[in-house]
Amino acid sequence: MTEAPLLELDGVSKRFGSIVVADSLSLSLGRADAVGIVGPNGAGKTSLFSLISGDLRPNAGDVRLDGRSITRLDPASRCRLGIARTYQVPRSFEHMTVFENVLVAVHRGAGLRGREAFGLAAQVLDETGLADTANERAGRLGLQQRKRLELARALGARPRLVLLDEVAAGLTDPEVEGLVQIVAGVRARGVAVVWVEHVVRALFGVVERLICLAAGKMIGDGEPRAVLASDAVRDVFLGTDYGEVAPG
Amino acid sequence: MSESTAPSVRVSRSRRSSIWMLVAGVVLLAALASLPYVVYANVTDLFVNFFILLTLGVTWNLLAGYAGLVSVGQQAYIGVGAYAVLVLAGDGMSPFLAIPLGALTAAIVSIPVSFIVLHLRGAYFAIATWVVAESFRLAVLRAPSLGGGTGATLYGLAGVDPAVREAFTYWAALAVAAATLIGCYVLLRTRFGLDLTAIRDNEVGARSVGVRIMQAKRIVYVVAAAGAGAAGALLIVSQLNVQAASIFSVQWSAYMIFVALIGGIGTVEGPILGTLAFFLLQQSLAERGAWYLIVVGAVAVLMAMFVPRGLWGLVGDRFRLRLFPTGYWVRPAR
Repeated sequence: MTEAPLLELDGVSKRFGSIVVADSLSLSLGRADAVGIVGPNGAGKTSLFSLISGDLRPNAGDVRLDGRSITRLDPASRCRLGIARTYQVPRSFEHMTVFENVLVAVHRGAGLRGREAFGLAAQVLDETGLADTANERAGRLGLQQRKRLELARALGARPRLVLLDEVAAGLTDPEVEGLVQIVAGVRARGVAVVWVEHVVRALFGVVERLICLAAGKMIGDGEPRAVLASDAVRDVFLGTDYGEVAPG
Repeated sequence: MSESTAPSVRVSRSRRSSIWMLVAGVVLLAALASLPYVVYANVTDLFVNFFILLTLGVTWNLLAGYAGLVSVGQQAYIGVGAYAVLVLAGDGMSPFLAIPLGALTAAIVSIPVSFIVLHLRGAYFAIATWVVAESFRLAVLRAPSLGGGTGATLYGLAGVDPAVREAFTYWAALAVAAATLIGCYVLLRTRFGLDLTAIRDNEVGARSVGVRIMQAKRIVYVVAAAGAGAAGALLIVSQLNVQAASIFSVQWSAYMIFVALIGGIGTVEGPILGTLAFFLLQQSLAERGAWYLIVVGAVAVLMAMFVPRGLWGLVGDRFRLRLFPTGYWVRPAR
């Protein structure tokens, strides 16, 4: 009678030549889970997202959504099934307005049209604090708004799982704080969140589980403070002691 | 965020009312349609060429400017359209009625071809489209019933008074160009058009929010083939003959690229301005022989270097002007 987890990775591996970005990764994610992912540069964090979103196909292993294999589906189909992602380098539609950027996601990702679509797009812009820039061209936005647009576009697809790839990178402290509140709100309405972030402080505002990756392997998974305190994780982060960054 | 505070917005399709544009368009169309009653055939002839180039430019812009498919092989479908009219007229059909069928034939032929070429990217795609066009040319050369290498003459218009024939050719060309332009505009205003605009700006981003890229590209490829087919059909009707070497010439692709690039790629207005610019250049340099091509080439290079967004990029951006508004404009409900 147990329900299948929202997302499951089963022995997923991906290598480019001799470089291994995912080494037989297995993990399971429940509905409305909030998970942070940390790891040094090149640990395979973004690759993990790409394997989940379909931008990369694994060499081995299986990715399942609701117990159904989605390994062979393309990113568009996975998005329509409820997995939306953001990109570290924003992939905004530069010459389109902020509203239109989100509307594309609402049309295809969420499958809405007409007034319903306009309504959801407006709602998402409101939620992400972009309502005032609705008619602005995406190319004219500053970094903070660009990062928010990336998030807004993912939310426009009405996802059940949203993958955030360094949406807080480069933002000032108050800006990070604003973003954390938005993500916490998204999570509170039942959307599962997986968040890759170097600004660990931001993660602590939202996640209750932390995964640490290094060289394509999972070297820590559990309660955030416990994970950061573990020896394996400390070794990897020698010199950048995340324990100190963690509040409290 | 609770449901009660859900924002309500009003969304319109342009910042300003575009009624005056519609009126201007209808007036312009009516004026153009009455042209054969006022001017001589040499003028309408010029317009026929203008409409053919406009049709090619608009469809190539859809391909390259929106779907990111830089084809240098649209002449494949120009040829298919022309030869389809030749064959249908040979069977006794009126060449004018065969024009839409020429477009349809090109569209049908392009479907299986799309499954081969669309799997290639960038330069590989470009070269593949050219190879397809060359293959079509070679196939025609080996088909004596199509005139082979010596070309073929279009029959079926022999008994028609030249003045009437030329007027009808003009109207057919006007109809094709208007249908292409309006069709393109309407397409770009749909949800599918918004997808295409998103693909234009960022393909990976579009894919990630659920846009089916391959399907969108295939549709555009087929639509562009239909446009090229219609242009080819018009060419044979206006010239009354067809030659494989010239109808399948890569020169057509050069013209299309020039028109879209000069005018402003990825905009509806661009190819119109580009076609106008091309004709002005052509007319003013007509007596200077080879200089004409040199100047056209130099203009294209300079524009690509210094005005990458084309003439319409200069005008439209400065005045926030859209002759063909395809976007969405949001206002708070109250």
